[in-house]
Amino acid sequence: MSLVARTRAALDRAAAVYRGSGFDARIAEVRERLDEPLRVAIAGRVKSGKSTLLNALVADRLAPTDAGECTRIVTWYRDGHTYRVTLHPRSGAPRQLRFSRDDGAIEVDLGGVRPEDAHSLDITWPSQALRRATLIDTPGIGSLSERVSQRAWELLAPDDEETPADAVVYLMRHLHAKDLEFLHAFHDTEVSRPNPVNAIGVLSRADEIGVGRLDAMASARRIATRLGGDANVRRVVQTVVPVAGLLAETAATLTETEVRHLRAVAALEVKPAEELLLTADRFVNTLPELGLTSIERESLLARFGLYGIRLASTLLRQDGQTTATGLARELTDRSGLTDLQEVLGSLFFERRDVLKARSALLALDALARGRPRTGSPAVAAEVEEIVASAHPFNELRVLATLRAGWLGGKPAVVEELERVIGGTGTAPHIRLDLPPDAAVGQLRSTASEALVRWQRRAENPMTAHEMAVAARVAVRSCEGLLADLDGRAR
Amino acid sequence: MSTAAAGSPTSPATALVDLGVKACTAYGREDLAARLGRIRAGLDDPAVHIVVAGEFKQGKSSLINALLGIPVCPVDDDVATAVPTFVRHGAEKTATVVYEGRRETVDFADLRRHVVEGAEGARPARVDVTVPRKLLSGGLVLVDTPGVGGLGSAHAAAGLAAISVADAVLFVTDASQELTRSEVEFLRQARELCPTVVCVLTKIDFYPAWRRIRDLDAGHLRMVGDIPLMPVSSPLRTRAVRANDQPLNVESGFPDLVKFVQERVGGGAAARRSADAAADVLAVCEQLAGQFTAEREALADPANAQRIVDDLNAAKRRVEELKTAAARWSVTLNDGTADLTADVDFDLRDRIRKITTEADDAIDEVDPADMWPEMEEWLRARISYDLLGNYTYLRRQATELSEQVASHFTEASGEAVGLLKVYNPSFLVEEREVEHRIELAKMTAGKQVMVALKSAYGGALMFTMLGSLMGVALGPIGIGIGVVMGHRGLKDEKKRQLERRRAQGKNAMRRYCDEISFVSGKDSRDTVRRVQRQLRDHYTRLAEELNRSTAAALAAATDTAKRSQADRQKRLKDLDAELTRLGQLRDRATKLAGAA
Repeated sequence: MSLVARTRAALDRAAAVYRGSGFDARIAEVRERLDEPLRVAIAGRVKSGKSTLLNALVADRLAPTDAGECTRIVTWYRDGHTYRVTLHPRSGAPRQLRFSRDDGAIEVDLGGVRPEDAHSLDITWPSQALRRATLIDTPGIGSLSERVSQRAWELLAPDDEETPADAVVYLMRHLHAKDLEFLHAFHDTEVSRPNPVNAIGVLSRADEIGVGRLDAMASARRIATRLGGDANVRRVVQTVVPVAGLLAETAATLTETEVRHLRAVAALEVKPAEELLLTADRFVNTLPELGLTSIERESLLARFGLYGIRLASTLLRQDGQTTATGLARELTDRSGLTDLQEVLGSLFFERRDVLKARSALLALDALARGRPRTGSPAVAAEVEEIVASAHPFNELRVLATLRAGWLGGKPAVVEELERVIGGTGTAPHIRLDLPPDAAVGQLRSTASEALVRWQRRAENPMTAHEMAVAARVAVRSCEGLLADLDGRAR
Repeated sequence: MSTAAAGSPTSPATALVDLGVKACTAYGREDLAARLGRIRAGLDDPAVHIVVAGEFKQGKSSLINALLGIPVCPVDDDVATAVPTFVRHGAEKTATVVYEGRRETVDFADLRRHVVEGAEGARPARVDVTVPRKLLSGGLVLVDTPGVGGLGSAHAAAGLAAISVADAVLFVTDASQELTRSEVEFLRQARELCPTVVCVLTKIDFYPAWRRIRDLDAGHLRMVGDIPLMPVSSPLRTRAVRANDQPLNVESGFPDLVKFVQERVGGGAAARRSADAAADVLAVCEQLAGQFTAEREALADPANAQRIVDDLNAAKRRVEELKTAAARWSVTLNDGTADLTADVDFDLRDRIRKITTEADDAIDEVDPADMWPEMEEWLRARISYDLLGNYTYLRRQATELSEQVASHFTEASGEAVGLLKVYNPSFLVEEREVEHRIELAKMTAGKQVMVALKSAYGGALMFTMLGSLMGVALGPIGIGIGVVMGHRGLKDEKKRQLERRRAQGKNAMRRYCDEISFVSGKDSRDTVRRVQRQLRDHYTRLAEELNRSTAAALAAATDTAKRSQADRQKRLKDLDAELTRLGQLRDRATKLAGAA
């Protein structure tokens, strides 16, 4: 029986136990959530570029962004048939709000409610990207107003219940002690903790690391790799990806007019172009013969940043034939967004079932223990049974153990273990370290070899106890792979 | 007044002190000359510390490089400065790495290897760099510090500790975002510890919205207090220096910063130093003049000579009493030191005890296996803060003690000096000036403590201390993943393991705290002892000087009886001339002291 099916069965049992006890709605909610798209929260310190990244992921400028502190209320963006904004006040019934779209971003009229009194905003928006994941924009931690940061904590690390989000994309600029503290708080206590399984780190505003030099992204990639290898970071996030958020957002929503303006900059000789792009002030104020008004220049700066203009104009100069679409694709690649989407795909979306089941089981466990009733111990026992025995959870547990650095062994072996149990992605070719186009026959033979290898490690009396346990999990993973491949061949 | 002038031989302060030295030597008072000589040395090598502080990666090292116009501090996109770097003036570029108890000269070009994060080998306590730059020639020392890494971190405490002995702070924040809560908090604390704090907004070339950020920051700064905000662009300045491009330099915003550093910081410190020097010259004048006046009075009015000799004898007895251990100031100092040691020790123990309790509670709430690195970080930060608090307490108490000793000394010596002064009405200065001098005396009293503290910590108090304590590590936490496969009993087994880990964690934490308690307890006792010695030596020396002054006056007054009439007239003339000269010197000193 699959994990989701087992979770559903546990929910059914709980529904029967709690029928008529006032918790029916709660259980229905948990069950509904199991079928919803994955909920991904975007979190991070103040001004780390959360709203900008959200816009880039949705490929639409939905969330308002600004140089000052901007997001003050936790805002949910979900797919739906109609455009609708609902306010959930701290007390009282939810109500629908009026909104307008000004310069792209959605502007909500809070209707007299102070931001402090709002619990969250719910924005329903028909969008392809939101069909796969509900995105949650959060206020930054480390904000000058304590209550604003408090709101992000409440969402991601509530004291008493399961986290409303299934996974989190954590934006960091350079790693801070606060960042680690936050990530720890987000991780749950039940399915083994710390748990890097539900978190990805994004080195955001990556273009600023090299202060806008053309090689800034290369520098950012180097830093991201180092951070991703850092023991403290590994324990809390799966990987770290550099993203130049502003550029990604702009690339996803690039207009023909903007490309035309950029071509004017690209038409300049290298030397005057360099002088013009020396500082943001100079770009706005010098070289009147460029043929752009200062308003046009300022809007270019706001959309691309100095780095974006430098990069885009260089790209256009190198290849004058590039179309707007071509430029958008190139900029998306260069911004790191493509990489991030791939990572999200292999680490979150492919693991959707596990992450969803995990959230549901956590909620159920809290309910069964917190509100005992006749029959509730059986529910708790069933949850514990699933949590302790379901193979995907065992994989996650070994992964967490390994990430925490508690699992010794030869580096090559540890690396293979991480891959086989799906630590770098759950697709068969990733687990087996083969190219994406590998034939089924090759996948199967490699999986069989891996199975034998891990069986040997599991049974070898010289293997340390912890590694032997982990090896048994790896054996199950290999068996699962083979069964999966057989199913595919048939 | 610019900094360069303060240290050069032509500055009014040095000229005044030189004159004072000449007078003392001429009158055969090499003890007073020696005192002024020490002041003179301080004027020549003023060492005004400007600490450059701020969060990670805000461009602190770049700022220093741009300020000096040459690459000194290594700059990197990724790794950050990990060791404080002291940049001062020197004829040539040199670099010295200072470890605990040893110094090592290294290649200037090789500096990066020693100061950035992740450098291999033992971490140095600090790095001393000299560069031939005019900006520093007045004695400015720029101190590049590691990023504070969020308030509440050990680094932040170390940064604040460095700030507590600094003359000025350049707080660096970049234009990417407005000041964060922890930055504002840090500024608030820095403001309390250091009189001159300026906030520098960097990277204005890259961020189009820097003007908005500047305005937002200015708003936050107004809440903290009077802190100027200066927007600059280091790359523009570097480019301007390379191309010798004046308009570009202005665009970079650096001229204002340079001006601030030279005038407000350098000039301010120079003015303070001048005033200190003038106060010392004044004191010396008073003693010399007192000696001559007594003699003059005795000569001018032979009938009165015996009374003067008697008075001087009384004064001499008083001064001799000052020198003994039974003198009130000496008793105050000895008792005060004992109290101070006990108080500071109690304060430290109390703080550590609270930390231990808090840590115990914290460990009871979490699983040390997950949280240990954070726990350790937290503990370290928490301890640094309390050590800083303990240090500030020590500093405050020591200053108070110093003021007490000073007032007891002045009280007692004042009577003796007063007896000397009686004979010279011109020295009865106006009320206002007296107040001014009391203020100066108080400043000098505080200065004695700072001298002792600075010599102890060299401006980088806790960088070294924490470094030596970091070694305390938690042994491997016994954790098995064997249980992960179990079905039932999973929770119980987990709980049992958790309890064991907690006990281990608490033990390790206690050991760590004990170690800290022990080391810093010893450290603060040593510091108190140093303060005591400094004060004792200072006032003993003053008493010696006074003693010599009274003895000389007494000898001269006694001698008058033996002089012939013609000899008397001649001597009187000489004395009047000397007194006029001293009066001139005194006037100059008073003017300089008043100018500060």
